Formats: sequence, structure tokens, C-alpha cells
Amino acid sequence: MTTEAKIKPKVAFFDFTSCEGCQLNKLNLENDLLDILEHIDIVEFREAMDDKAEEYDIAFIEGSISTPSCVERIHDIRRRSKMLIALGACATQGGINAMKNLHPIEEVRETVYGDDKYLFPTLPAMPISAIVKVDYKIDGCPMSMPEFLKVLKSLLAGQEPIKPDSAVCVECKLKENECVFDKGMVCLGPITRGGCDAICPSFGQFCTGCRGLISNPNKNAMLEILTEHGISLDEAKKRILLFNSYDHSQSLPK
Amino acid sequence: MSIAISDVKSQELYCPEIAKITAVKRFTEKEKWFDIELPGGRSLGHQPGQFVQVSLFGAGEAPISVTSSPTKKGSFELCIREVGMLTKLLHKLDVGSTVGIRGPYGKGFDVKSFKGKDILIIGGGIGIVPLRSLINYVIDNRKDYGRLIILYGAKNPDELLYPDDLKLWKKSNDIEYHITVDQGTPEWKGNTGVITTLIPGLDLDLPNTITAVVGPPIMYKFVLMSLKTKRIPDENIYLSLERRMKCGVGKCGHCQINHSYVCQDGPVYHYPELKHLQEAI
Amino acid sequence: MKKYQLNNKQLPSFIDHLKKQGTVFAPHKKGDTSYSFEKVENPNSVVLDYNRTLNSVKKYFLPPREHLLSFSKTDNSFRKGSFKNEKKIFLGVHSYDMKAVLKLDYNFSQGNPEENYLQRRKDSSFIGVSFIPDEFHFSQSVGIPLHDTEGFDIYLEQNSDGYTVKIITEKGEKLIDGFDRVSKAKDISSNHVQFQNKLKYNYNRLPEVFEQSWNAAVWEEVSKKCVGCGTCNLVCPTCYCFDVEDNLDLSLQTGTRDRSWDGCMLNGFAAVAGGENFRETLAERQRHRVHRKFKYISDITGEPWCVGCGRCTAYCTAGISIVEIVNQLCDEYEQNYLNRPAVVGLNAERL
Ligand SMILES: Cc1cc2nc3c(=O)[nH]c(=O)nc-3n(C[C@H](O)[C@H](O)[C@H](O)COP(=O)(O)OP(=O)(O)OC[C@H]3O[C@@H](n4cnc5c(N)ncnc54)[C@H](O)[C@@H]3O)c2cc1C
Ligand code: SF4
Ligand code: SF4
Ligand code: SF4
Ligand code: SF4
Ligand code: FES
Repeated sequence: MTTEAKIKPKVAFFDFTSCEGCQLNKLNLENDLLDILEHIDIVEFREAMDDKAEEYDIAFIEGSISTPSCVERIHDIRRRSKMLIALGACATQGGINAMKNLHPIEEVRETVYGDDKYLFPTLPAMPISAIVKVDYKIDGCPMSMPEFLKVLKSLLAGQEPIKPDSAVCVECKLKENECVFDKGMVCLGPITRGGCDAICPSFGQFCTGCRGLISNPNKNAMLEILTEHGISLDEAKKRILLFNSYDHSQSLPK
Repeated sequence: MSIAISDVKSQELYCPEIAKITAVKRFTEKEKWFDIELPGGRSLGHQPGQFVQVSLFGAGEAPISVTSSPTKKGSFELCIREVGMLTKLLHKLDVGSTVGIRGPYGKGFDVKSFKGKDILIIGGGIGIVPLRSLINYVIDNRKDYGRLIILYGAKNPDELLYPDDLKLWKKSNDIEYHITVDQGTPEWKGNTGVITTLIPGLDLDLPNTITAVVGPPIMYKFVLMSLKTKRIPDENIYLSLERRMKCGVGKCGHCQINHSYVCQDGPVYHYPELKHLQEAI
Repeated sequence: MKKYQLNNKQLPSFIDHLKKQGTVFAPHKKGDTSYSFEKVENPNSVVLDYNRTLNSVKKYFLPPREHLLSFSKTDNSFRKGSFKNEKKIFLGVHSYDMKAVLKLDYNFSQGNPEENYLQRRKDSSFIGVSFIPDEFHFSQSVGIPLHDTEGFDIYLEQNSDGYTVKIITEKGEKLIDGFDRVSKAKDISSNHVQFQNKLKYNYNRLPEVFEQSWNAAVWEEVSKKCVGCGTCNLVCPTCYCFDVEDNLDLSLQTGTRDRSWDGCMLNGFAAVAGGENFRETLAERQRHRVHRKFKYISDITGEPWCVGCGRCTAYCTAGISIVEIVNQLCDEYEQNYLNRPAVVGLNAERL
């Protein structure tokens, strides 16, 4: 092992259109956060401090892109960052924000801003990757803390993090959870990308699909499972689209 | 079925040996060559065509073919293409760095049974890596074997590996060496075209020629067709397959093709065996 | 064979007696309607009358996650994972799960015998218990009689007052030695249990069917309903595929090489760098899974590698049934290779 003097990578956090649940989540790291600080220099972190720096080794982005000024800002951050990582469902998939894409944009502005709608230009909600190159995505709503740490550790060790690509069901089985289908619920775990350690089913809740879908998902089969469990086809599609409307609204059967 | 498990002598399967990198060479933008020494300069004891599991703590393990001949003592060689997480990190290593080594694993080329035969080598792209072990073995035991014919194909001249060996093979009047690239460059004077274009022109002593083929999955179908046209009997064909591997010792299931575990029964297969494996080619 | 009677109310003291001799694992209630094997703390929470546990006892020999190594990058050193050497007593194992352990014994001792499995597996005693087959069990159809006692040291057969205790091995004799509240078995009638054969063909005719199964239509049909979640692999007591991954801890210098259960139904299982996926479609993956249960290992060992526990079917959210898959294979075989329609009903054996 080499004993070169360590230059700590400069890390910044930015947020766009989101509930800021993810950042709060991050601050809850506490003990782990202290260990992480050993290895990084947080130069911009809206909720935690006011420092500003010009260039970043890693920029973490939360929230989706939904206004023209967001577009400008993300381009600017991208220019100043060596690596850009989308944090949480809004940033990785447009998140629930992208649900508004299913409605005509004027209607959305009307409901959200009422008569002031013309003061607030809005775009369809988009994941960060729709505008700039994203080096890595940490999914979830809120994002998964263990995954955030894992990715950060990989990056700090000079590695490319491996994206989990098995269904949430796999993690349920590893933990020997009782399936929530056996508690009379329906669950999106079978086609949802794992990595959250099946946290919702572990607490007796169904998975809403907040981490996006696995590669190669059989969406038709999932719809069939949902409808066979008494959910109307319309409602079943809505469930799948809740977090996935940006990527998948075109590909579900009519 | 009931096994007296207390009578089974169990083995520690997953502990690597810490080995040292003693030389590194860059072949191309994507491929690097490494010379590796086990503790105490102990021999790896491999067969041409076998592979080792190479690991870096914190990054994981990958199966990599041994590219040197067992006749080389004191160290062994690997040639690694940078494709993903681990291979990228391996490319950053330099002389003096260490890697974990498990193996050698799998079945290699049955060089004893090839004795007295002509050897036809067909290597596509990175497929030349395990074949080089066989080539060097034959060169080092030259009198035991008949003709040595090497067909080597790469996408373009920049992707050719082993520049020193290529020169040697070309010079040697003991080796019939043919090379081609899919796409030439202005400076390229040699053949252009896929590797199968080299096969029809060969003059072979058919029953006496052993053919060893290694290349990307897509290559096998076409090469096998050409070999059939050339009337090379299936019994004389050997090929090496690539599959996802995790354990290398026949446990993890990733490399399985029907009943066969590539890490145990392969990677080198006698073609007649492969014909019955449905998902093999 | 020695037989005793163990009445229901004696059960807790029997468990206490076992606990004095080793760590006892037994089925407990889990969630609303499920069961799982757990270490026994309180004998009263053990449930011997259960349909199936979520995971089989496999989890004690091949844990869902384990450290193969722990390492330090600083000095390139490593230690292998440790195994607790304790005497383990598994109480309340069903015959099919016992058979599954014996099959795993084969997988982990042939070829390269694996220390991790074999170390954990040794010093284990098994006390079986009878069960009432539900709609998913079909172990009898794969050659495991309801009261098969192979592998058990003691077998408990439920009767109207409790259990008939059958001592199978010397080890079993020792386990019960000193427990003086067992009376000689009276002639208490065993619960009369019927086991229906659910596979159309007797298991020893399946190799014939699986000779012709590669191009069957069932793979494509089933793949339309399957979501590729991997559940059927992970719950199977004879599945043992695994993944290996390195994990660093926060120091970035030390960490562990970990393995965890994996499954051939998952998308990335046979994928390699460069984008090639050797079993890309769900039909190919389903075919591989079922062939692993009925052909690949079976051709070598002469036994089905499915023990008929019904887990893959009971826990498949898409309702895909391995019995139906195999029966459809039998149908296709008859239609395409025997040129005669199915003539015998579902529950008949044909030898
Ligand atoms: C028998 C055999 C011999 C090989 N010989 C060589 C060689 O001599 N030189 C060389 O450069 N490459 C060789 N390969 C391919 C090499 O193993 C892969 O390129 C390597 O595993 C990629 O790892 P990665 O972490 O860089 O890629 P990533 O894409 O990041 O891989 C992630 C994981 O996928 C798995 N994986 C991906 N690709 C493969 C693959 N092709 N084979 C097995 N597992 C894979 C590994 O488990 C790995 O941990 C060989 C493969 C096999 C099966
Ligand atoms: S609870 Fe959901 S994620 Fe877990 S096994 Fe059931 S369907 Fe899969
Ligand atoms: S279980 Fe589903 S909803 Fe819950 S965190 Fe995981 S992916 Fe999101
Ligand atoms: S459990 Fe069912 S849906 Fe999931 S992979 Fe298996 S067969 Fe397919
Ligand atoms: S294949 Fe299904 S029924 Fe057979 S042993 Fe595995 S889980 Fe049980
Ligand atoms: S690599 Fe694990 S079984 Fe072959």
C-alpha cells in the first residue's frame, strides 16, 4: 500500500425539485457520517453548511428537472463536476414528480399554481439523466442509506459501484420475510430493483416500486399478478407508474 | 442418497494465494500483459487452456486464462482486457503490486494426447490468450508434435496482442503463421477479412490434425462451418468456452451449460462432447 | 425399532431435555400464516404442526449471506470465515426437507468438497415429524414416502394423543437417553393421512420425459406469466447457487468477501461483460431451473433433485406450479413422442 498524503475528494450536494427527504435521510447517518468525513471534504451541502466551492470531484444531485432554470443549473453543475451522481427516485427516474407527465402540462400548472400559473413555467418532470450525463444512480424514495454508503465507499476506493439488478423479492427471501401477498396485500417487489434490503416488506408493508424496475422486467406478467389479486387494470398500471412513469409510461399495454 | 459426511475430506476452496506482479506490458489500449510470481516462486502447475481466479480485495474476482506455457518456470503470465470494474483496477497495477490467485481450474488442452499430431490453432481476438499457452508448449516440446499452424484474427491491427511473439512466429520456419484483420489500415500489408477466410487455403493432413479454436461466442459457428467444409473430423476439434463464473470449483452454478460446469468440465471441450450441450454454441 | 409415546404436554420437557445436549432449532410461527426454523429459546413457542417453513434448514449449512473471507488491503492479509462448532439438533423436520439436506450433502461433497458447508453440517442431529400434506406438497410423487425416515435420528409420528417416537439411529437413542417420561408406545392410532400423487408419471419415468423436454411449448407459455423474481430458486431446499461480492467497510482498508444465495431465474445470472447473456429469456431460465431439478443432476444420481416441498409453487406470486410444468411436459411427451393421448387419471401411477 502506498502512503501518499491523502487529498480528500471534494463532494457537494445539490437539490432540485424534491421534498428534501433524501438530504434529511443523509444527515441521519450520524456515526457513519463521521467516518465518511474522514475521507471526503463536503464543500456544498445546502442544509448542513453554507460553504461554496467552484469544482467538485463528486456532485450528488437530488430532485428532478422540472423548470427551464433547473436545466441551466444542472448544466452548470455538470460542467464543474468530475462525477455526477443522481440521488433518490426524483433524480434517477423523475420520481413521483414525473406522475404529472401523465396529465397535460397546462392542467398540472393550473392545479399546482392556480391563477398564478403563468408566472411559473414548468416542464414535464425529468430525471437528471434526461439533461446531462449521470455517472451513477442511487435509487429509492427516500434513497437507500446503505446503498448510498456502499456507492460512496466504492467511489472512494477508486472502483465503479455495481448496480443491484435483482428483484426486491430476492432480499425478502434472504431475510426470510413472510411475503405481504400472504398478508392480503399486493406488492411490486417482484419487478422492482432490489438494494434496499426489502425494507418495506420487512416492516410488513408492500413495495411501491420506489427504486425503479429491474432490467428486462416482464411488466405484462406483473399487471396480471396485480389484477389477479383484485386490482383493476387501471389501478395496477398506476401502481407501476407511480415511480416509473418517466421510463415506462409508453411501454405498458393500453 | 446418503453420504457419510464425516468421512468426506473437505477442502478450503475460497482462499487465494497472494502473488506478486513481476512485470507488466501494455499491448493495446484495452489489453495488458502481467507476469506473476506465486510465493516462493512455486510453479502454478497448470495445463495450457486452464484458468485462474484473479482477485483484488475489495473489488472481487474474475476468471482469467493462463497465457504462458507450463514449461515456463518461476512465474506465469496473464493477459487482461479492461472491460469492467475489476479488470479496470487490475490495469492500474504495476510491478510489485499483489493480486490474489486461486487455481489453476478447469480442464485444459490434453497435450499428451496431441503428441505426434499436427496442431492447427485458430484464435479470434482475445481468444489467442489461452491458445498462446498451447502454442508455447508446443514450441518448447517441438519434436513431440508435427506441424504447428497458427491462424490469428483481430478486429484491426491496433488490437493485435503479443507483438514480440507474433514476430517470432512469423520468423520461425517451424511455424506456419497466418494473420488477418477484419478491417485494415493504410499501413496494414497483411490479409483483411474475418478469420474464416484463412481456412479454405490450408493444406492439411486431415486425420492427423488437431484443431484448437478459441474466440468470441459468435466466431464458433462460422469457424465450425468452415472446418466442416474442410472435412476436419469433429473428433479432432477442441474449443474453449466463456461463461459467467464466481467460484471456479463447480459450486456456484453460474457457469453451467446443461449438466456441464464450464469451470470443471471446461473451459476447453472436445467438440463431440459439446455437440450434445444444447446451450453451448 | 424402539417406539415410545410422547404426549403433547410432555413436549416442552422433551425439548428442554434436548436443549441440554445442544442448540435446538425448530419451527416457529412467523408473520400471519407462515413458519420458520429458529433457535429454540422457549420450548412453548415451538410449533410442530405446520405445513412448511419459509426457508428450509438449508439456511444453517449454507447461510443466505456469509463471509467467505475478511481481508485487509493494508497488508494484503485475510482470514477465512469462522464456523461455530456446536452440536445442533434440528427438531420438527419434514421428510422432504431431510431428503433435501441429503441431496445438498451430495452436491457439497462431490467434486471439490466444500469446507464451509461440511463444517456447518457436521454435528447435526435430526428429529423428524410427520405432516399433513396440503395442496402444494408432492414429495410422494418424487419418491419420498410420507413417513420416510432416511436421515433422521428420531422420527415423531403424530397420533391422537401426541407423537409416536421412533428411534432410528444410535445417535437418536442417545438423544432421548435420560428422558424418563416416555412411556412405551401404546397402540394409539396414527392420524390417517392420504398422500395424493400429483405428478402424472411416476418419478422413475420422468427421465424419459426429460429426454424430450428441451423444445417443449411449456417454457414459452410459462414465461409469459413469470416475472423472473427468483423466489422459486431462493426458497428451494435443493437450490445452492450463490453470488460472491466484496464489501469494504468505512475504513476503506478492511472488508469482507461475501457470498449470498443467487438464482438462475434472475436476469444477470448468466450474463458476462460485453453484454452477452447466455440465458436471456425467461423461457430459457425456467427451462434451466426445471432441468436442474429433474434432469442435470438426476441423470447422474438417478434421483429427482426436487423433493416436492411445494415452496416454489406456494410462494410464486404469479401462481406458477412446478407440478403443472412437469405434467404439461408429460402431456407434450405423450402427444409428440408416444402418439397417444393421456389415458390415465391424475392420481394414478404408471410404471
Ligand atoms: C474461463 C475464462 C477465461 C477467461 N480468460 C480471460 C483472459 O485471459 N483475459 C481476459 O481479459 N478476460 C478473460 N475472461 C473474461 C473475464 O473473466 C471477464 O472479462 C471479467 O470477469 C470481467 O470482470 P469485471 O469485473 O472487469 O467486469 P464487470 O462487467 O464489472 O463484471 C462484474 C461481474 O460479472 C462477472 N463477469 C462479467 N463478465 C464475465 C465473464 N466474461 N466471465 C465470467 N464472469 C464474468 C464477474 O463475476 C464479475 O465479478 C475469461 C473468462 C472465463 C470464463
Ligand atoms: S413481499 Fe413483495 S418483495 Fe417480498 S417476496 Fe413478497 S412480493 Fe416479493
Ligand atoms: S421495498 Fe420497494 S418501496 Fe420499499 S424501499 Fe425498497 S424498492 Fe422502495
Ligand atoms: S417465483 Fe414464479 S414468477 Fe418468480 S421467477 Fe419463479 S416462476 Fe417466475
Ligand atoms: S423445485 Fe419447488 S417443490 Fe421442488 S424442492 Fe424446489 S421448491 Fe420444493
Ligand atoms: S464458476 Fe461456480 S460453478 Fe463454475
